[in-house]
Amino acid sequence: MIRALYTAASGMTAQQLNLDNIANNLANSSTTGFQQRRLAFSDMLYQNTVAPGSAATQQTTNATGLQVGLGVRPTTTETIQTQGDFNATGNPLDLAISGGGFFQVLLPNGQTGYTRSGSFNLNAQGAIVTADGNPLEPAITIPPTATNITIGADGTVTVTEPGTTATTQVGSIQMALFINPGGLNSVGNNIYLETTASGAPTVGTPGGAEGLGTIVQGNLEESNVSVVDQFVQMIVAQRSYESNSRVVKAADEMLQQLNQLSQ
Amino acid sequence: MDSGLYAACTALMARTDALDTIANNLANSSTSGFRERHTTFSSVLAGSGQPLGSQLNVVTNSYGLLGNSKLDLQAGSLQRTNNELDLGIDGPGFLAVQTAGGVAYTRNGSLQVSTTGQLVTQAGDPVLGETGPISIPSGASVTISSDGTITAQGAIAGKLKVVEFTPDADPQSLGSTYYTVPQKDVVASPLSQVRQGMLESSNLNPVSSVVELINAQRALEGMRHALTMIDTEIDKTAAQDIPRVS
Repeated sequence: MIRALYTAASGMTAQQLNLDNIANNLANSSTTGFQQRRLAFSDMLYQNTVAPGSAATQQTTNATGLQVGLGVRPTTTETIQTQGDFNATGNPLDLAISGGGFFQVLLPNGQTGYTRSGSFNLNAQGAIVTADGNPLEPAITIPPTATNITIGADGTVTVTEPGTTATTQVGSIQMALFINPGGLNSVGNNIYLETTASGAPTVGTPGGAEGLGTIVQGNLEESNVSVVDQFVQMIVAQRSYESNSRVVKAADEMLQQLNQLSQ
Repeated sequence: MDSGLYAACTALMARTDALDTIANNLANSSTSGFRERHTTFSSVLAGSGQPLGSQLNVVTNSYGLLGNSKLDLQAGSLQRTNNELDLGIDGPGFLAVQTAGGVAYTRNGSLQVSTTGQLVTQAGDPVLGETGPISIPSGASVTISSDGTITAQGAIAGKLKVVEFTPDADPQSLGSTYYTVPQKDVVASPLSQVRQGMLESSNLNPVSSVVELINAQRALEGMRHALTMIDTEIDKTAAQDIPRVS
């Protein structure tokens, strides 16, 4: 009896967390480079009251056992690594990644962060920085007189100086690739950090054989949140929460019946 | 005391255990690859093992116990996720997984690549191919054909080991959507097809779960009435009223 109460409570808590995750996905459906997360569940331990194959009599054994499960637990919120749609903005410093790589940025605490949000700007010193002012790693500085910035599919940054037709290469964007990008740690501001689960990054030039992908200038990668899918998930979470609360009510009423026995 | 009192008491205990199983099924309604368990009740004759003689003895000494809980192997519905490492199995097959406690089987095809490049389950246990764990090259796009052959970077990385259980097997739930059966009950599953980019939902049947829930609740209520009746109408009369009269 007490088991059912706690089991149903585990179901309700799990669905609450599910809804929290769906809310975050929906809230970020317009965030550039955002990758939706999916909450995964798994069943908890089972109590074996009768083990299958145990002796029923001296001659026969139980064909099936009696196992009672103890509920559900949320296991992971893995990021879904599908490509988001491209939104053509025409802005030369809007970069989208076609492939599995990440841009590297230098965070204020000296750590390297990884992002797929390619909405870059220039700071007062001419360095290419993210919307939060974190510079690209390795740093690329655009001369103040440059008129035209071109970023190739392989990350080569070239500028045109006024009065000339020749282009000058000012740097090359490097990207990082993880063997298990689902294991990256999201720290907000579209930034991911490396973890032991994600593995060490493979850093290289875009377009190479490593599978980093290529850079598409003048485009932004939209979030890969599917709003329809999230709404369906929301309905499922809500109804599942409801049925679990129904079990709590049933368990409560059954306990009440038992309490009335002594009256 | 009356055997009816104990029969009703046994039934109360069995119904509370049945409720625990229903609660677990409903709590796992969103767990990918989860298989619900159904409880069955069995009657037990209390006695010395000797023939009880009369039919009346059989009736008064028969108790209803929760006999067993059996795994429901019906398939859940497949949902499209478009994630290339999500696998749904169309058919009766299970994926073989190497856990610390031996080989386990799962229908939860939400897989990942570990830092060592192995194809692993959510719990981090390597998924077994026909020749052991499967390695995926870093950053490679993975294609999985319906027979379970995994192709990455144009080369075959392995073939998933898809097995099914013999009809008389009794799979045990290990948690983490892993199931286990004795080795003799495992056979290859040629009819199962692997579907990439799909995940199988839990096979919970919401209608039958709610019916089971109501059933357990009302049966318990009935047993309580029986207990109260035996207590107040019969035992109280015997213990308090009859001595008073005499």
